[in-house]
Amino acid sequence: MKEALSLLCRLPAHPDSRCWYLAWSPGGSLLASCGGDRVVRLWGREGPGWACRAVLGEGHQRTVRKVAWSPCGTYLASASFDATTCIWKKQPDGFECVTTLEGHENEVKSVAWAPSGNLLATCSRDKSVWVWEVDEEEEYECVSVLNSHTQDVKHVVWHPNQELLASASYDDTVKLYHEEEDDWVCCATLEGHESTVWSVAFDGSGERLASCSDDKTVRIWRRYKPGNEEGVACSGTDPTWKCVCNLSGFHTRTIYDVAWCHLTGALATACGDDAIRVFEESSPAAPQQPTFSLAAHVARAHSQDVNCVAWNPKEPGLLASCSDDGEIAFWKYQRPEVC
Amino acid sequence: MASPFSGVLQLTDLDDFIGPSQECIKPVKVEKNHPGKAAAKIRIEADGSYFQINQDGGAQKLEKAKITLNDCLACSGCITSAESVLITQQSHEELYKMLAFNKTAAPNEQKLVVVSVSPQSRASLAARCKMNVLETAKKLTTFLKSLGVHYVFDTTFSRNFSLLESQREFVKRFRKQSEDKKALPMLASACPGWICYAEKTHGSFIIPYISTAKSPQQVMGSLVKGHFAEQQHLTPDQIYHVTVMPCYDKKLEASRPDFFSQEYQTRDVDCVITTGEVLRLLEQEGISLSDVDPAPLDTMFSSITEEELTSHSGGGSGGYLEHIYKYAAKELFGIQVDTIQYKPLKNKDFQEVTLEKDGVVLLQFALAYGFRNIQNLVQKLKRGKSPYHYVEVMACPSVTAT
Repeated sequence: MKEALSLLCRLPAHPDSRCWYLAWSPGGSLLASCGGDRVVRLWGREGPGWACRAVLGEGHQRTVRKVAWSPCGTYLASASFDATTCIWKKQPDGFECVTTLEGHENEVKSVAWAPSGNLLATCSRDKSVWVWEVDEEEEYECVSVLNSHTQDVKHVVWHPNQELLASASYDDTVKLYHEEEDDWVCCATLEGHESTVWSVAFDGSGERLASCSDDKTVRIWRRYKPGNEEGVACSGTDPTWKCVCNLSGFHTRTIYDVAWCHLTGALATACGDDAIRVFEESSPAAPQQPTFSLAAHVARAHSQDVNCVAWNPKEPGLLASCSDDGEIAFWKYQRPEVC
Repeated sequence: MASPFSGVLQLTDLDDFIGPSQECIKPVKVEKNHPGKAAAKIRIEADGSYFQINQDGGAQKLEKAKITLNDCLACSGCITSAESVLITQQSHEELYKMLAFNKTAAPNEQKLVVVSVSPQSRASLAARCKMNVLETAKKLTTFLKSLGVHYVFDTTFSRNFSLLESQREFVKRFRKQSEDKKALPMLASACPGWICYAEKTHGSFIIPYISTAKSPQQVMGSLVKGHFAEQQHLTPDQIYHVTVMPCYDKKLEASRPDFFSQEYQTRDVDCVITTGEVLRLLEQEGISLSDVDPAPLDTMFSSITEEELTSHSGGGSGGYLEHIYKYAAKELFGIQVDTIQYKPLKNKDFQEVTLEKDGVVLLQFALAYGFRNIQNLVQKLKRGKSPYHYVEVMACPSVTAT
């Protein structure tokens, strides 16, 4: 089982610091990383390995917690503990910080771009989720401030093709939001996890969501629209999300990140026990009660907590991971024969 | 679990629990009388009191660290949960306590209880009890007096003062905008949720833009504890002034040190209760307001009758934009404005009003309600991209501001 996920190379990306998050550019050729050393680094392929192409410094006064690329690949957003979010724009000679989004009361934990490229979401320890809109003049305006969570919000992610936003929080829930009239509202709350939900990821179709938690489980949720043939009850015109699978017993510590490959459907997890695991859905697929099995497990993927796993959007099987040890690792995943 | 305070105030972290990196910004004063000497030893007595043992063996009793409500309000995270403290200190329960105290106290210790009702609260009660506004006011007067309240006033009167002051201030600032970069835009100051947020988050940057006029609640406070007290031959601390307001944030405003008289050790407004709490009072007494007999209304100044309860045009927030706009148009440009045309922008809580003549924009005002619009307004101001002369800022979206 070990051979399914093999190490390609390791980089000391954020020396003497933690590497918190990774984001592949939409074209798959660049990897952005951010860390406790307050900078964002961009990595590109160089021969068989990877080299640092750019360092985006002087944007933040504290740890950069997350980075996110705009769908067009021209902009990069970085969320920081200094309560701001920087927007970097690709220029001929590098990246330049064009705007700083302020407003959160304290540490910004996550940032994400909507598939349309016009909307951005940020979330913070101040328990709120903000939705921002950008116009043609690259002016950002706050469109909504959502106070649905009762605790620190850890992660926000957009649906792959709709303007539907998901957030994960220290309050043990996942919430979903969409626009109604001229404001954004929380349209669903996913309860079930017994502790902090650290991350969420939609599958390629957007019909399912995976969430990972401090309770050492990964849960898969499925969307049921009103009038669905399975007979799942919905209130009004909003769809209901139901938990259809609970992956427990695989992880020995907090699961900090989950990544669902939109090319192959493989599910990767980043765990506090220093390991990376990959799960595959057993076929034939039974949508109402899917089963996932462990396809790969690298016990000492890093020397410390693994904070993030990210599938390359264009190259199937290419996985990047980063850790508290400041390193980035690149992996080649091949779905094993027997799964 | 949902907080009754406005979203803006909640985001100002008034009710938060101390995180490891936060410190109380109002530390209790520690008297350091012997700098340079070795660290003292502390001894805890059986009764829980602390004694500092000096080098020579002498014991000194240490003051218990106390954090007052006002310290709480300024702090961003504390051991005590500020919101719940605030709510218990100012509630209809407190009013009951005061009325009960009056019943048993000696005549020279009793306080004169005055209640000032805001027009928004009165309108809410009227709608709730299915009566007209005048009838509601009269019946409310009877009800409150039956509990032991001595006078029931209406803050429409003090709202006039606030509006007049704001109008004058605007024109003055408009006229000196070329000398003073921070004269305009003038931002409304009547909403305490907005003020608290502005002070805490944007501090010295935004304060100069905010109007210096007191809100109707606080103008009433000054009138009751000043002019009215004198009229009654009482000192301010002999009056217990209660206001009935539509929102919880007003409790905060009343507790501000700016509105506390050091001389008499009393607040201009001692207690703020909300419309909802008045309903609870009625419930607790088992009374339905419509069954109560009407009583004549009290007037603060005998030359003005409040029989007709003058009301104001404009939004539920007090009509600041409309009054200042009309006054400024007349005073600065000699233009008489009868109706105001609002242009909604991004959302219904952000609207613009423009005064134009011969294609030239003379005045540009805006309404910005709700946190997201406040955010955008402040960010635009910071980047120097705000085109407005005056903005009526309120923490609550118009849906809830009744």
